[in-house]
Amino acid sequence: MEDCLACHADKGLARGAPVRGKTLSVFVDEAVLQGSAHASLPCVACHRSATAPHDERLPAVSCAGCHAGQRAALGEGIHGSRKAEAARPAPSCAACHGTHDVKAAASLSTQTCVACHARQVDLYRSSVHGRSRARGDAEAATCRSCHGPAHKALAKADPQSPTYHLSLPRTCAQCHADPELARRHGIEVGAVYQQYMDSIHGRAVTRSGLLVAANCSDCHGAHEIRARTDAGSRVFRANIPRTCATCHAGVYRDYAESIHGKAAAHGAAGAPVCTDCHSAHQIRRVEGAPWQLDVIRECGTCHRESLRTYRDTFHGKVTQLGLTRVAKCSDCHGSHSIQPASDPRSRVSPGNIVSTCQQCHPAAGKSFAQFHPHADARDRVRFPRLYYVNLLMISLLVGTFAFFGVHTVLWLPRSLVERLRRRSGSGEEGPDR
Amino acid sequence: MSGGERHYFRLNLYHRVLHGMVIASFLGLAVTGLPLKYAHTGWGKGLSLALGGPFTTGYLHRFFALVTFVYFALHLGYLVRLALAGRHGMFWGPESMVPQPRDLVQMVQHMRYFVGLGPRPRFDRWAYWEKFDYWAVFWGIAIIGSSGLLLWFPAFFSRVLPGWTFNLAIIIHSDEALLAVGFIFTIHFFNTHLRPEKFPMDPVIFTGRVSEEEFRRDHPAEYERLKRQGRLEGLQADPPPLWLRNFSRVVGFSALAIGLVLIWLIIGTALR
Repeated sequence: MEDCLACHADKGLARGAPVRGKTLSVFVDEAVLQGSAHASLPCVACHRSATAPHDERLPAVSCAGCHAGQRAALGEGIHGSRKAEAARPAPSCAACHGTHDVKAAASLSTQTCVACHARQVDLYRSSVHGRSRARGDAEAATCRSCHGPAHKALAKADPQSPTYHLSLPRTCAQCHADPELARRHGIEVGAVYQQYMDSIHGRAVTRSGLLVAANCSDCHGAHEIRARTDAGSRVFRANIPRTCATCHAGVYRDYAESIHGKAAAHGAAGAPVCTDCHSAHQIRRVEGAPWQLDVIRECGTCHRESLRTYRDTFHGKVTQLGLTRVAKCSDCHGSHSIQPASDPRSRVSPGNIVSTCQQCHPAAGKSFAQFHPHADARDRVRFPRLYYVNLLMISLLVGTFAFFGVHTVLWLPRSLVERLRRRSGSGEEGPDR
Repeated sequence: MSGGERHYFRLNLYHRVLHGMVIASFLGLAVTGLPLKYAHTGWGKGLSLALGGPFTTGYLHRFFALVTFVYFALHLGYLVRLALAGRHGMFWGPESMVPQPRDLVQMVQHMRYFVGLGPRPRFDRWAYWEKFDYWAVFWGIAIIGSSGLLLWFPAFFSRVLPGWTFNLAIIIHSDEALLAVGFIFTIHFFNTHLRPEKFPMDPVIFTGRVSEEEFRRDHPAEYERLKRQGRLEGLQADPPPLWLRNFSRVVGFSALAIGLVLIWLIIGTALR
């Protein structure tokens, strides 16, 4: 090494560069060399043909001489592909690990990836993973957590890649299927992976292998994943409709025009977004009875009075017993395109109400539609007939039971006495007085 | 029920068969209707499920409604036949079901007797509470039946009735049914079966006959009157045979049990 540095310690030492007219420094800083992972190796360990002194340019260093396994792995991954090698800068050994300052693999960080993937690393650093890492959270995901070991890193489009569309949920699950981890990091939804796998999205991805069905990153983003409390997050409440719209564009169009969508767009806190009715990770088939019945209750979380009065009717009671064939909220009001009754587009507007009833009651006419599906017998002002009929019925009920209640209570001891008297034999004397 | 004692017919076969239909359809309607009224309770859901789900329960409910309409029609036919035959005293008098001033007097007397202020009134063929039961069913079928039909065929009835009548029909059908169920399973059960003198049940509605002792005690005015008119002998009967007594026990206790369980559930829900 002494021999080599006799020349190469000269800061001005240079040779012709590949680019015409430029020069390349061949200065070697001894301090850097001493600090590298290869500090214990002599120069000739890498520059095998070097003699001191030498005139000729030395052949390129081949790391594979010692690191044959890594070289082979690189060949299997995207970083060793022809396309990558053609890129500038190419992901050569030195590009990531350095030359004389060669660093141990464990000490490499996301900074290493910046050289080529600056945009992705930038997004990552602003993400919940990147920020946690920056705060010193050793469990937060880095590039390798999702993309796999660097040498064998695969393109997202490769079915073997951990970030392949169909494989991503399992990759995220390495951390997010662990309820303990969720607890440690204050993540609200602990069973998120299990819920997703049972959802319509999860089944489409994992069972049917649909590339168009949402996986984790379709909703949460990939490098830019942010907490849902972060206004910049794709799953921040106000951003959810737009996020879902990336696939469900038609539904979004209806929703955005609806009273719910408009209210949500204006920032109304209570206005429902997609996940309020469909949930986030447990999204179910809307054709299924469980969802259809549960969503009634969901409507009722805001429309409490409407739910209460609905439950007073045949419609509301039968659905409560689990039958979906009768009218549910959306059968009359619509789902994504809900409009207030005052809007002529509304399915319950005076102009449309008859045809809405006719969906189930084909013979329904104008008179039929005078039935009030949300009548309230307690409301004397709006429903006087119902109020007084109800009052009459209750009076009849109370009156009858009050009278016969007293009648029975008085009769019981008397009848008891009569029976005892008869058993003791005195009753045999005569049937009557 | 001593073996050799003299018995008299109180109810003929037609009465008993019709009342059998009343029991079957009433219990059927109650069991299939209450799950809907109490859809918000666990037992309502469970009962509906046990009956095959709300769809099947609805079908059964309508089936028992048809049974009700059939026995109602049979009874009306019976009345018409009696009227055409010129049955004396059908609309007024001691043998009539029609409420009369005497019933009001006897009711007051009976309640005075409860508290020891007078003797027991001498009832004729129908005591006032028996008449009340009869008319309660009559009224109940008219009210519950008509409102039920309205809800069964809303589109048809909406041709002549405004739609808001269905709102009324829901309330009327449900409340009147609660009244009927509550009344039968408590007051009627007590008056007829569960009061100590009859406890645990009065089998007359199944056997059709009463012992002479019971007849003279429960309906003394009728007994005396029939004797006077010389009609008593014609009503004499053998004591009910064993099979009939067993039949009444099985059917009667089953009906009582179903009714008491239902009323227990209803009261339990109301008190919760």
